[in-house]
Amino acid sequence: MIGWLLCLPSFLVIGLGFLWPAAILLRMSLNRTDDIGAMQPDLTIATYARLLDDDMMPGLAGDTILLAAGCAAMAVTLAFPVALAIRAAPPRWRGPLALAAVAPLLVSGTARVIGWIAILGDSGMVNGALTLVGLPPQRLINNWTGVRIGLVESLMPYAVLVLIAGLGRLDARLEEAAATLGAGRLRTFLRVTLPLSAPALAAAFALTVVLGASAFVTPRLMGGGRVFVVATEIYDLALQTVDWPAAAALAVMLLLALGAAFALRGLLPRGRA
Amino acid sequence: MHLELAGLTRRFGTNPPAVDTLSLSLPRGALLALLGPSGCGKTTTLRMIAGLERADAGRVVVGGQDVTPLPPEARNMGVVFQSYALFPHMTAAGNVGFGLETRRLSRADRNARIAEALALVGLTDYAARKPRALSGGQQQRVALARALAIRPELLLLDEPLSALDAQMRDGVREEIRALQQRLGTTAVFVTHDQAEALAMADLVAVMNRGRLEQCGTPEDLFERPATRFVAGFVGRSSRFAATVEAPGVLRAGGLALPAAAAPAGGAVEAYIRPHHVAIGPDGAIPARIATRTYEGATALLALETPLGPLLAEVPATAAWRPGDTTTATLEPGALRVFAA
Repeated sequence: MIGWLLCLPSFLVIGLGFLWPAAILLRMSLNRTDDIGAMQPDLTIATYARLLDDDMMPGLAGDTILLAAGCAAMAVTLAFPVALAIRAAPPRWRGPLALAAVAPLLVSGTARVIGWIAILGDSGMVNGALTLVGLPPQRLINNWTGVRIGLVESLMPYAVLVLIAGLGRLDARLEEAAATLGAGRLRTFLRVTLPLSAPALAAAFALTVVLGASAFVTPRLMGGGRVFVVATEIYDLALQTVDWPAAAALAVMLLLALGAAFALRGLLPRGRA
Repeated sequence: MHLELAGLTRRFGTNPPAVDTLSLSLPRGALLALLGPSGCGKTTTLRMIAGLERADAGRVVVGGQDVTPLPPEARNMGVVFQSYALFPHMTAAGNVGFGLETRRLSRADRNARIAEALALVGLTDYAARKPRALSGGQQQRVALARALAIRPELLLLDEPLSALDAQMRDGVREEIRALQQRLGTTAVFVTHDQAEALAMADLVAVMNRGRLEQCGTPEDLFERPATRFVAGFVGRSSRFAATVEAPGVLRAGGLALPAAAAPAGGAVEAYIRPHHVAIGPDGAIPARIATRTYEGATALLALETPLGPLLAEVPATAAWRPGDTTTATLEPGALRVFAA
């Protein structure tokens, strides 16, 4: 009873901050946009049908999934050694190192993107260095490359956080046992550390896929208007086309797709451990 | 000597060394117990032998070869960890076979070795089980089989019985000892339980604050403790302050006591085991029985004497009861005397 009472504040926040807007969103998506682009109150799935029928949609969905899955996989791959190193560090260093790994979260996402623009821009640091050594400058921003770089970077701290938590349960004695049984570092990693990290890797991947699929700031700012994903499309539909039912319907579909992905993961066996 | 430790030292930070210039040697086929209170450095010593902990100074020599610079994977030592450290994602057979993967064995040979090791610990029928589907005792045996399957130069066990129920401990203790003797494997095990050490080991090394207090047979430690720490730590004993009056004579509590082993001069501390304290009418030390603890075949009497409190062990059938007054005699040859 007390437990439920203590949960009340968070229920309120979730209710007011998420469920209520989600309900409005759902209601909105069932409205209809008439021929002159005005929203008409209705209860129809015509907007969904229209979106699903749109020739642009398969490409948009595919691009979004590929971007999210690819960047999530890359972020988790890059975060794994970081998390392993933090785990192997002396206990008093673990806290500061973990903090350093997630420090990017302390900076606003927009500020980080602007930082990337300075680094990756046509006359940014990377291209400056390339020119200096006589290589042709590369287009690293305002395209998919830029979005991928920015997204991987923004997902990594989350991947590190989830992996640190997951690896905390991995008993270091197991790796010692492998060593005493004659296994070198590579064999120990492949046969012991990696398989036992699988649940943590899966959790980190699931979280970063979701974050990547719903990312808006990075594709918007680093894509320079040339990269279209579901999140940017929702924004355009809502604020440029001012087709609120379509924006709402697309948002609902993204939500459902991510929810389904998570539910599917719940059905999978939880690692081999 | 199959295992030799020479001046082994390990420091953690600026604290006094966890292990301080430890030297001892162990003949082939013998079982050595590293015994001591927690924090005495016994586990660190074991980990240095296994190569899991770096030695700051000193050498570990196994079969004449200095293995100190070798990493654990090059030392061929079977380690049974306190928590067993079984690979949770592998079956019992997979665990036992892991150490054989790096050795060039045919599949048939490897399977034969796995079957042999599992049979050794009586777990043939459990080969396909994952560790979580095994009881604590069975997990312990898998860990033992895994360590033995590589035919190790040394078998190292870290508190092998501490995670088991009290009822299981004696059985597993006997099993480990029998197996170790049958295979002729030289073994070192760490324990804080002196009963375990005295019952199982050929040699017991008593450690305290990183230093070796005494290394000897269980009888040596019990009957001829070399230091005050060993005298107080191994077995039950009573302690009293005394002065040496003349060679072979101690003075304590206003009484002169014959003591075979008294060194000459000054203040000393004397230790006596309860079974070396005799109770009867013709003793020299007046005693009043304070408490009586029934222990089955025997009873332990706490005595109040001019020397201070003394423990005496008597047959449980003896009629002594708290409040009785009598006299006590200390067996002169059994008194251990150390400079205070």
